[in-house]
Amino acid sequence: MAKYILKRVLRAFITLFFIITILFILLQHMPIEGYFENFDKVSPAEIQVKLTSLGLTDPLPKQLARFYKDLFHGDLGTSNIYRMGVDNLTIIAEKVPVSMRIGLISLALSLLMGFALGIWMAYSTRTTFKIGERLGTLLIVIVQAIPSAVYYILIQFMGSQYLKMPMLFKEDNPISYILPIFSLSIGSAAYYAMWLRRYMVDEANRDYVKLARAKGVADSTISRRHVFRNAVIPMVQYIPGSILGTLVGSLYVESLYSIPGMGGLLVTAIKRHDNTLIRALVVIFAVISILGLLFGDILMAIVDPRISLVKKEGSR
Amino acid sequence: MVIFRRRADELGDKLNAKLEQELDMETLLAQEGEEKLFSFAEFSSEASEKGGYSNYSYWRSTVRAFLRNKTAMFFLFLMAATLIFSLIQPFLPGQKDALLIHNGEYGLPLNNIPPGKEFWFGTNAIGQDLWARIWAGTRTSLFIGFTVAFVEAVVGILVGVLWGYVRKLDFLFTELYNVLDNIPQTLLLILLSYIMRPGVSTIIFAMSLTGWLGMARFIRNQIIIIRDRDYNLASRCLGVPTGRIIFRNLLPYLVSVITLRMALAIPGAIGGEVFVTYIGIGLPVSIPSLGNLLQTGRSVMQMASLRYQMFFPAILLAVITVSFYIIGNSFADAADPKSHVN
Amino acid sequence: MKENVILSFEDLDIRFSLRGQVLNAIRGVSLDVYRGESLAIVGESGSGKSVFTKSAIGLLDANGTIAGGHIWYNDKDLVTFRTEKEWLTIRGKEIAMVMQDPMTSLNPLIPVGDQILEAVVLHQGLRGAAAKRAAVEALRAVGIQEPERRYKQYPHEFSGGMRQRVVIAIAIACRPKILICDEPTTALDVTIQAQILDLIKELQQKLELTTIYITHDLGVVANVADRIAVMYAGDFVEVGRCEEVFYDPRHPYTWALLSSLPQLGVKGENLYSIRGTPPNLFYAVKGDAFAPRNPWALKIDYLKRPPYFQVSETHKARTWLLDPRAPKVDPPEHIRQLREKGGGRYA
Repeated sequence: MAKYILKRVLRAFITLFFIITILFILLQHMPIEGYFENFDKVSPAEIQVKLTSLGLTDPLPKQLARFYKDLFHGDLGTSNIYRMGVDNLTIIAEKVPVSMRIGLISLALSLLMGFALGIWMAYSTRTTFKIGERLGTLLIVIVQAIPSAVYYILIQFMGSQYLKMPMLFKEDNPISYILPIFSLSIGSAAYYAMWLRRYMVDEANRDYVKLARAKGVADSTISRRHVFRNAVIPMVQYIPGSILGTLVGSLYVESLYSIPGMGGLLVTAIKRHDNTLIRALVVIFAVISILGLLFGDILMAIVDPRISLVKKEGSR
Repeated sequence: MVIFRRRADELGDKLNAKLEQELDMETLLAQEGEEKLFSFAEFSSEASEKGGYSNYSYWRSTVRAFLRNKTAMFFLFLMAATLIFSLIQPFLPGQKDALLIHNGEYGLPLNNIPPGKEFWFGTNAIGQDLWARIWAGTRTSLFIGFTVAFVEAVVGILVGVLWGYVRKLDFLFTELYNVLDNIPQTLLLILLSYIMRPGVSTIIFAMSLTGWLGMARFIRNQIIIIRDRDYNLASRCLGVPTGRIIFRNLLPYLVSVITLRMALAIPGAIGGEVFVTYIGIGLPVSIPSLGNLLQTGRSVMQMASLRYQMFFPAILLAVITVSFYIIGNSFADAADPKSHVN
Repeated sequence: MKENVILSFEDLDIRFSLRGQVLNAIRGVSLDVYRGESLAIVGESGSGKSVFTKSAIGLLDANGTIAGGHIWYNDKDLVTFRTEKEWLTIRGKEIAMVMQDPMTSLNPLIPVGDQILEAVVLHQGLRGAAAKRAAVEALRAVGIQEPERRYKQYPHEFSGGMRQRVVIAIAIACRPKILICDEPTTALDVTIQAQILDLIKELQQKLELTTIYITHDLGVVANVADRIAVMYAGDFVEVGRCEEVFYDPRHPYTWALLSSLPQLGVKGENLYSIRGTPPNLFYAVKGDAFAPRNPWALKIDYLKRPPYFQVSETHKARTWLLDPRAPKVDPPEHIRQLREKGGGRYA
């Protein structure tokens, strides 16, 4: 187990190195006006001076080395446009708690709704009218097929129009939390429900369930002790990623409701062409997503006794 | 869970009727005579084989299962109608140009005109015909969707075949896959759209860049399965040519999964365009797309009289994406031999 | 019900609906299972052996129904059972089951001990430490070394043979009267098969169980069975004591089945195989289901289903060849040799 975890951690760092390098190279091609507060008013000579002082004229390996050196010192540069001269990490640190608060509530809500719906769906596949199955499938199809922009906008529209909820987020107004949280949780709830139902139906057809029935265990007990438990295990893998994901929030929902969080920040940074802030955010987003996968695999190794020492990736 | 058991249905009763066809002994004896009844019947090897169960055909069952799915048929029809109409719409009589700004008598733009006789879906804030824009947008979005799905299929299959077939490349490709697959897709999409010039080709490129990964891995795994799975090994031992193994054992499964992936890639790509446009790095309004039409509609959502500008693109987006999603899934279900049981 | 009969099937009809058609899996079958005996149900795949026995614990697949007949156990007709509660008085408690594939019949995420414990708590009425002790004992009884340590291990830490032992431990922890073994050794290595059969035999004697084996392997049958019931296309064509069926078979299907045993083949000759394919049970079977594949078929075999002809008190077969009006037929060469091996006692 310790060996597996060590290997997995090492692997995550190598992957992270490659990904950040790839992203860094891509980021080199950001439009240069994004390094200036007022690009139109700057002379070509001044541009050259600024770019040189930022080290952007150096050869790529040198830039990369400097970038990693700064990264290890926890330095992600300073903002050029969004908040001139302010340390990017300071800006980000202000935004994270907002995203996280909304994200964690939504996550809890979506797990609750998703699991309830998934169980209901799995249960109702064995009933005559399959009401739960039908309703759940409808929700899943809507959420999966329709671009989220469409139903986010509809939720915002309906909520503000008919339920008279605030259109925009205000930190001190709890009612303004409802629509963004609902928007965020409905999508993942549908996903959780879909997978839980699928796994539960799969598990319910396994031989060990037949054996459990043959030995006289009541169906309700089998559902709880065998089917549900085994169906939840493969989903555990995504929980750490989801929790970490709350740090970066949602690009869409945050900008839709003007929530001063991380997701909204990236959208703002892009709209305002703040290159260094974009770079800082991209790096953080990548790190968080890799860590999420890493913790997911480690958690999986802890809860699933079958995961052996080596699991070959890519051939899953 | 409650044990659910289906009751014997009418078919069972029919069977009962058939079972009772057997005559009783006296009648038989009277009809045929004892001697004849108890003489040997001729053995026919043809009759002995007749019992077999295999009147089963994979494709026939697949098509039948799909045709029987009413919802899927409805959406197939809906999608075909939308697709065809969006293509022939510009050539129909009385259609307006999507970019033309309509001006009234005094040279003032006819902006924000509600839906009516002249402008079926009304006009937008600068006086362009929304009906024409929506169909032009549908064409753009569908073009993006189909191209991305096509690139995904072609690149995915090519790389997948290479990955699975050339053993030396397996390690390299697997590592490459692990790195690329771990890059968050939205992040890459945003970054590329930001770096490159906004346009249809940018969006297609950004979404195709990693979209083929899943397909490639799937194909690679299938090729390894052809090599190693027992029933294929058995076919090979029996001297079945590789071409036929691929055709009979593999293709049915491949076709269904590739179709499903392509069918889901289309709404995915359409959604991707809506997303980048929303962030502000998508298509400019001079190229109408469902994404920027929706975005424009959202900005005037506050005014009740202008909401039609949001609803029309939203409805069309929902119809197109849901159709593809349902058709893809229903076809994959129909192609699954397990669903041929009932 | 006769006193020594523990389980009695009477005119049982089982149907499945499949692709909009009805499949007649079991066609009016009767069979008595005697207390303490070891009965083997033999037949090729798809003949209905599993379905037949599963009906006795109410575990038919969802598209299957019992369309007629009775299953008597303790003066109760199991066919009338509708609710899960009723079945829970039978499953495990009275009739337990060992399934074919030990690799899949244990929950991979629960330690084996806890899976045995489930049965102990349900059927032995024990709780806590006492229950755990009983589960450890069950492991010991099926010959697992260091049961205390193995108790906490997960199924993937056991080999196939050991897992089958665990499955048997679960079955006996239920303290059933009847043990159904559905192809208990098919998925195992040949070297392990004998061990598992010996274990079941030993437990049968120790616990005074009635065992029903379902198998297509005549080698297994010869090893364990007191009585044999030969199933073909959802019906028993021949039922008798083990020696009777082996040394004096009467139904042409039994002949064919025995002739295809490699051990009976003559060196240098092709191995015997039954010609043709089993009938399609989607259609009503008329006459004797085996007739089209039967080289000795009579005209009447195509017209009328044969009744059982009693060969001895314990031996009966469903074939018109046993009718006094039928022409005299000599069984094939191998079968005659078998008869001689039996010392002519049963002929």
